[in-house]
Amino acid sequence: MIEVQHLSKKYGPFTAVDDVSFRAESGEILGFLGPNGAGKTTTMRIITGYMPATQGKATVAGFDVFDQPLEAKRRTGYLPETPPLYPDMTVKEYLRFVAKIKGVRAKLDDRVNAVMKKTWVADVANRHCGRLSKGYKQRVGLAQALIHEPEVLVLDEPTAGLDPKQIIETRQLIRELAGSHTIVLSTHILPEVSQTCQKVVIINKGKIVATDTPDALTQRFHGTVMMFVQVDGPADDVLRTLHSIPGVVRASVKETRGNVTNFDIDTQPDVDLRREVAAAVVRGGWGLLELRPVRMSLEDIFLSLTTTETETEDLEAEKVVADA
Amino acid sequence: MRNVIAITQRELNAYFRSPIAYVMIGFFLILFGYFYSVPLYFFVQQSAQMGQNPGPMNMNQQLIGPTLMNTTVIMLFFFPLVTMRTYSEEKRSGTIELLLTSPIRDVEIILGKFIGALLLYIAMLALTLIHIGILFYFSDPEWKPIVTAYLGLILMAGCFLALGMFISSLTKNQIVAAMATFAVFLMLWVISWISSFTGPTTQAVLQYLSLTEHFDDFAKGIIDTKHVIYYLSFMALGLFLTAKSVDSERWRG
Repeated sequence: MIEVQHLSKKYGPFTAVDDVSFRAESGEILGFLGPNGAGKTTTMRIITGYMPATQGKATVAGFDVFDQPLEAKRRTGYLPETPPLYPDMTVKEYLRFVAKIKGVRAKLDDRVNAVMKKTWVADVANRHCGRLSKGYKQRVGLAQALIHEPEVLVLDEPTAGLDPKQIIETRQLIRELAGSHTIVLSTHILPEVSQTCQKVVIINKGKIVATDTPDALTQRFHGTVMMFVQVDGPADDVLRTLHSIPGVVRASVKETRGNVTNFDIDTQPDVDLRREVAAAVVRGGWGLLELRPVRMSLEDIFLSLTTTETETEDLEAEKVVADA
Repeated sequence: MRNVIAITQRELNAYFRSPIAYVMIGFFLILFGYFYSVPLYFFVQQSAQMGQNPGPMNMNQQLIGPTLMNTTVIMLFFFPLVTMRTYSEEKRSGTIELLLTSPIRDVEIILGKFIGALLLYIAMLALTLIHIGILFYFSDPEWKPIVTAYLGLILMAGCFLALGMFISSLTKNQIVAAMATFAVFLMLWVISWISSFTGPTTQAVLQYLSLTEHFDDFAKGIIDTKHVIYYLSFMALGLFLTAKSVDSERWRG
């Protein structure tokens, strides 16, 4: 179990984390979501006892990370953003070393072998850490976090730098671990959250902007229903017509290609305007090429929560690039 | 204690798995060989002259003592290179996050690193026993002053290493760490130079501060608690400052 209460961290005048509170129950995977520089890493560093908080309290498995650091650390496995590997050690030596400083006393070799098997690094056991590919480094980092069978796992972007197959395997592994561990993982990849986590904490500029399950978040932001329409016709006229339909809150041009224009329509909640929209387009004598309701994805929620209007467009562009 | 041993092993691993230890020991031996041969030739020449004109000759005072004394200069140049990586490298590569989030105390990390570096130096010194052994084969010097001189060297090395580790803990940049350490070492080396121009009180203080002044008695075969306490307290201060620096780094983030 991890509990964070009113946590703040200030670097001089700069506030990296501002009054953050959340709770992850035993066996739960909590996704920590936010753009780069939102304070994810700082929060994780506080939970793992790497640095103290300016204010507030963090408890890991019932132990306060500040007052009982050794007890808390004994129960925490941590994968930092860059896997903390010693390039001059082989994977096996490295894991043996980590096991020792993490307090593993009995059956050290068995433990190392079991973890290497679990994280698929057994085939590079005798390679030097410095010579490993990014994917292997990441997995050795994960192995290192698991070595002392901690109750709590804190994973800072565990799938960063992995290839698609490894990403799927790693997510699978994380889900398997969830039963016996409490996991906090940070990411800025949204599908990762909906696929692996039971709870999402969205953080932006050091503040929590939303805490819920991925499904509930999607539900909650379904306040206005969105619709996507593709019409073959003059954009201005179509737009005017769309606006005139009762129940339409907002209609906007998304993209124009020759005669064909894509529109986004926000409608009032709980009304289905598909028929009205279709009828209006047909009445105008234009071609209705596509019409479908748009469910607000986690991605949209994330963007709407973490960006202001002016930034949205840039981020959309980035998103497209990232998706490609 | 187990944690200290684990860290020490890891440090030795870093020295002996990379070229660091071998390059350092190799060049140390070349320099030591030179520092040893020159007084030896001189000593041999002198003893040949003594054959015609007998006078007092003492191998310990005229050969071994000065040789080991000169050896301390090598520390001055080599140690910044040993200590510069102790913390700076961990900070740069991010492995410091592993150490600081493991259930071990800062003191254990610091002691482990310190003992690792000291063992590297002891390994270097151990090889010079060959040179001393040669003297024992052809002559019969006193062994006790040799033991005290080696003890003095190790104590002095401890001071330099503790101080160097502290400086390394202040920066991410290894070059900065090495430069600053070298400058501070050199300053402590020569701090007694100005003592002849100052009043008696200042003179006493400066001479007390100088790391090398305290070595003289060890080279003569004297173990004076005054010097032992000086070296031990110097070491303790260096390690204490390192601990404080690591801790304050945490707070500053």
